[in-house]
Amino acid sequence: MTVTENVPLISMQLMGKDYSVPSGLTIMAAIEYAGYKLVRGAGCRGGFCGACPTLYRRDDSHRIFTALACQTLVEDGMCLVQMPFVPLMTKPYELQTIVPRPNTLLQHFPEIAGCVACNTCTRACPQGLQVMDYIQAALRGDTKRAAMLSFDCISCGICSSRCPADIKHYAVGLLARRIYGKFVIPAAPDLSERVAELEAGDYQDVLNELVGMSAAELRVRYEQRSFEAVADGGETHSATKRYNSPVDPVDFQDEIEIEIER
Amino acid sequence: MELIDGYPESMRESITLVERTRPARMGCTFPAMSLDERKILLTHFHPDYKAGAKRPLLFGPSKGMSINHELADLFEARPLIRSNLNLKHVDSDLDLLVIGGGGAGTVAAIWAVKEGLDPSRVMIATKLRHGDSNSTMAQGGIQAADRPQDSPAHHYLDVMGGGHFTNRPELVRALVEDAPLIIQWHERLGVMYDKDSQGHFVENPGGGTSRNRMHSARDYTGLEIMRVLRDEARNLAIPVVEFSPAIELLCDEQGRVAGAVLINLETKRYHIVRAKTTIITTGGLGRLHMQQYPTTNHYGATADGLVLAYRVGADLVDLDAVQYHPTGAAFPAQMAGLLITEKVRGLGAQPTNCNGDQFVFPLEPRDVEASAFIRECSERGLGVDTMHGISGVWLDSPMVDLIHGPGTIRAALPAMFRMYTRFGIDMTRDPILVYPTLHYQNGGIATDENGATTVPGLYAAGEVMGGVHGKNRLMGNSLLDFNVFGRRAGIAAANYARAEYTPSRLSLAHVDAYETMLREANIETTRTAPRILPDYRGKEALERYLDIPL
Amino acid sequence: MQIAYYPGCTIKASASQHEGAALAVLRALGVELREMEEWNCCGVVHSLTSDNLIRHMAPVRVFARLREQGANEVATLCDMCFNTLARANIHARQQPEQIVAMSVTSGGELSYDGGASVQHMLQILRDRVGFAKIRARVRRPLRGLRVYPYYGCKLLRPSEVGIDDPETPAVLRDLMQALGATVVEGSLQTQCCGAYHVVDHDEIVAERVAATTAQASVGGAEAIVLSCPLCHYNFDTLQPASDTALPVFYYTQLMGIAFGLEPGQLGLEEQQIALLPLLQQHNLIHAKGDLG
Repeated sequence: MTVTENVPLISMQLMGKDYSVPSGLTIMAAIEYAGYKLVRGAGCRGGFCGACPTLYRRDDSHRIFTALACQTLVEDGMCLVQMPFVPLMTKPYELQTIVPRPNTLLQHFPEIAGCVACNTCTRACPQGLQVMDYIQAALRGDTKRAAMLSFDCISCGICSSRCPADIKHYAVGLLARRIYGKFVIPAAPDLSERVAELEAGDYQDVLNELVGMSAAELRVRYEQRSFEAVADGGETHSATKRYNSPVDPVDFQDEIEIEIER
Repeated sequence: MELIDGYPESMRESITLVERTRPARMGCTFPAMSLDERKILLTHFHPDYKAGAKRPLLFGPSKGMSINHELADLFEARPLIRSNLNLKHVDSDLDLLVIGGGGAGTVAAIWAVKEGLDPSRVMIATKLRHGDSNSTMAQGGIQAADRPQDSPAHHYLDVMGGGHFTNRPELVRALVEDAPLIIQWHERLGVMYDKDSQGHFVENPGGGTSRNRMHSARDYTGLEIMRVLRDEARNLAIPVVEFSPAIELLCDEQGRVAGAVLINLETKRYHIVRAKTTIITTGGLGRLHMQQYPTTNHYGATADGLVLAYRVGADLVDLDAVQYHPTGAAFPAQMAGLLITEKVRGLGAQPTNCNGDQFVFPLEPRDVEASAFIRECSERGLGVDTMHGISGVWLDSPMVDLIHGPGTIRAALPAMFRMYTRFGIDMTRDPILVYPTLHYQNGGIATDENGATTVPGLYAAGEVMGGVHGKNRLMGNSLLDFNVFGRRAGIAAANYARAEYTPSRLSLAHVDAYETMLREANIETTRTAPRILPDYRGKEALERYLDIPL
Repeated sequence: MQIAYYPGCTIKASASQHEGAALAVLRALGVELREMEEWNCCGVVHSLTSDNLIRHMAPVRVFARLREQGANEVATLCDMCFNTLARANIHARQQPEQIVAMSVTSGGELSYDGGASVQHMLQILRDRVGFAKIRARVRRPLRGLRVYPYYGCKLLRPSEVGIDDPETPAVLRDLMQALGATVVEGSLQTQCCGAYHVVDHDEIVAERVAATTAQASVGGAEAIVLSCPLCHYNFDTLQPASDTALPVFYYTQLMGIAFGLEPGQLGLEEQQIALLPLLQQHNLIHAKGDLG
């Protein structure tokens, strides 16, 4: 991003040290502007990978706020530090051998029984997830809810670092999702058939033919190909539709009201 | 400067036009181009055809290949080490070294262990963290022909057509044949693909595909796959060494690749890793910012693996073709270049120019779509201007909820919705601005259908490998690519490692040979490669930089 | 009639038969139970320590959410949850400064004005629905079935939250008689079963269960009827395996049988000590498990 001349400068404190940076930059860009070459603390730079968790305070509040450095604009007076790593050690498991029961998640992570529903994790989550609620769901064996509510987790670790019970939320969510994906969601009906057909060699002939064609012959075949119709206005699968977090900034209800107005 | 719901006044005026044309555009799509029309558009507007953007490689097995300057600069650069580096003390002795900890590397390591290698004799070395990769950022989906109304033959045709028929047939065959197996493997690992209540995958259309075969996990498909794979690797006790890129491959005296020199980025201590077989899975090159385009890629995408491979004499293919994803975010500036998944268009959002008019079929193959956007903004002057100097075209995202019902974007594209909300824009009510962004390395290291390069002991898989996609990759085939070829390379490498051979004396003779080639080509430079990380330090800070010993 | 419903962790994980039966039975009586949209553990194990503010957050949060969801009253099946929530509610009303402290700790996010209440399902049945209506709904009186109502402790003590007289409670007796059953009583009806001691000192629980079931048998009872999932676990798993072991019913299951409801909804086969033989003996259920 090019920084043009008349952009006002603001002051940020990185680990207590003052830096003057142009306004309008993300925290990550501001840190780099100040001269830091990031080795830790930068990953996808797009809000997907959890490499850049940042804690900060402002002078108008006593609280600690959390953010992803690549997704948050730097503000005047921000006093910040990056926390690129939260320790995680979990016991290995073999998913194939797990027999999912209501207490499976509790067995793997007994510390979740220590959740006191203080909601600190939810308040700390930069993705706006209902973290406490997915831990509570895990606690009572509701794997589906735990999987759905934790789905957008990028494993940044801030929740775990702030939890009074030292729960490893993102590890719990990951196991819940894998159990849900493997044992609860039905296996795709046509898939095994297609795999079996391929293993039996049913497509050898047609693929041999295609592989042997020249570019010109392929072009002809390509231009003749038929397209599958796209269902217009069909309900796209939205399994997680009910699970939008109230902590997300835009109220889902607004959208429905607008629709009625139209 | 006043922003109204995230947009300045000037852009709001254009948005009003988009809203005005919307009712007529609903259900009415701009027609697709013929192959000839595509060709004309590409040659005139695609960045790969821009005069002066490229120069030929001056030496080596792929001498003469025309590549972007930014990439050529890396080949015409000095190695980071000298050939007299002390190789006596070997830090790790392995069966398999995987260089690159993204999707392909993780899949390769897992399948090598499943094929029988002892995990303690495998290592994934990565320059950032395990999982930091373009794989994590892939959003829209993964292709596989797994329904009765589809077949690998249809998939094959789509891939070849998208690649302008320059793809290597045996690689495309492997890609489409293995696809259903990969999906089944993922299903068994617990990947949460979108499904209906009976378990049927929700399968969407993608650019250039004749069947709706895009499997997705909302718009976090890459992240979901990557985190499950990473967990699986962890459970198999596969060692991962983070923040430790490879800076040079090692060979033995017969010229076989025998491991690599790694460096701990935090302590600058180098590690000598001897391995019977090595797989390069270093991903893409977006952070080289070809022609100053922004990129969708992650921080570490600097083509390290291409350099490493070329130094030991591996063949490269199709590096003249870099993919510019048509829809990178163009506003606000903080989001510039970030991926706006093709799925948005798959769900019905139409591209429009500043007047709210359609100008292209929404789902042309990517290079065609990108060129159309570039033409609209340049020659036709119908782009939307932003205050930070670039222009873009609208992607009419509100259409998605209108077609599929309120809440669709929230449910199907939560990552994107969240991204825009953080910057004050509600994409369910307002269109978003897009422009092509540097996205994917179509070509790369040449391999056979099992990932074997032209150098014994060296394999490659994933984005760093070339020939699968020809000159242009279709959406949903990159997630597939790293799984199919990661698996094949892992299996092949495991079998190679189990053959009785043991690496003989380690050698860096290829470093000398490379320096000689540079000299003979009259290249004098202080540039070094691999690049490892891009440099975004502020201009002012760099001007005052002093490298004092500490 | 609609009432918000709080299940609690144990009901969902290991007492689903109680919930299934309750939903069916209440529906038959015209009461719709609506599970709270978002709820958390009542905090039974940690919430009633008298120090450390943060540990009261769990039950207070349940009430705060109830209010946010537009309700003032919630019903629960589990005796432990009921007791925990009710006592936490009294605590919140009597010590509002604690709530203020909770609110500050949570950044204003947790806030509760003490205006909600929790009812145990037996209170709903006794006070809102009424035994007359229950009696009127019976299609298959439990004639000849001799049951020993077991209360345990959480339903009745401490008296500030108890739903009945702690020494001589009547609610289960009245309910069973409304269903047509014969009630056998005894002094151990209100003695604690041993509760969580089953985890590491199950001999204590075994002893108490043995004493209570012995008293019940001597009095002529053929089955135990109770309310609490933890008591249920203790009574169902710690009687020695024998022909004389007393089957253990949730009151909701007996209601379901007496109402003639579909037995599949009542979880009759999920107990360790089989329920069906006794029911078949009294012609309350046919061999194939339907109520004919």
